[in-house]
Amino acid sequence: MSGRKSLRQMSWAELKRMSWAEFRQSGGWAEFRKMNRAEVMQLDMMPAWYATRERRRWLAGAGILSLALQWLNAAVSWAVEPDGGGGWIILALVAITMVVYLPAVTLMNIATRGLVELAERHLDERQVGERLRATTIAHRITTGLLAACFVAAVTAGMGGGDDYAVPERTVIMLTVALAMTHFVLPLIVSTWRLPDPLPDDEE
Amino acid sequence: MSAEEVYNRIPMLRAERGVSRKELAAALGVHYQTVGYLERGEYSPSLHLALRIAEYFEVPLEVVFSLKPFPRLGSEVRR
Repeated sequence: MSGRKSLRQMSWAELKRMSWAEFRQSGGWAEFRKMNRAEVMQLDMMPAWYATRERRRWLAGAGILSLALQWLNAAVSWAVEPDGGGGWIILALVAITMVVYLPAVTLMNIATRGLVELAERHLDERQVGERLRATTIAHRITTGLLAACFVAAVTAGMGGGDDYAVPERTVIMLTVALAMTHFVLPLIVSTWRLPDPLPDDEE
Repeated sequence: MSAEEVYNRIPMLRAERGVSRKELAAALGVHYQTVGYLERGEYSPSLHLALRIAEYFEVPLEVVFSLKPFPRLGSEVRR
């Protein structure tokens, strides 16, 4: 390993093989922090998590699970009273959601090389096309969810009587669930669709 | 097999000229995985990218891309 090679030119595998002395020689953390998001996304970090289609689909599944937990939390916030211990159930569900959501989204962004996350100027024509396809599919799914929300609200309103009202906490939780779904669904779709890359011919 | 499949000789041209996927990708300004997907026929390039690939290898477009499978090496000699 050459100490003269810049950190920006190295792959994740090369970075992992470096000793601390070599890392410092190549600029250390000061150099590493200069890398922009587009460069970090190309590092192939933690490849074992997304090396095969099956593993990528597990990651996408974890993303779907975190969204489902947030939708469940919205339903729970409607069904329980915060004063009667329901507040703790809601908080626990938020915590579990975040524990699944944050690593899953990070790994999906790395697996797709920032396909959804990065600005278009960092992507080539295939990546832009794939992002458009993923966004279109995600848009259709979100439209279906919005229609389901509308039907659920109308049905609940019709059977609820004159004093029917949706609690404020439920509206907030539903808005968060919808925002999360809108934000992360294109990433889940692109991770699900991602074909296996060819092995690097330089390795 | 897709009706819109475009066959290419990128791997052959790359091997002949000793160009790695990353070098070709850097020259074309695309991600190296895009070169991989092109070679595997999983992605059909835009006309602009196809012309730039042909220009890079300094060959006519039809030498690199075809709508029909390319004949195997030596098959024309046997005929």
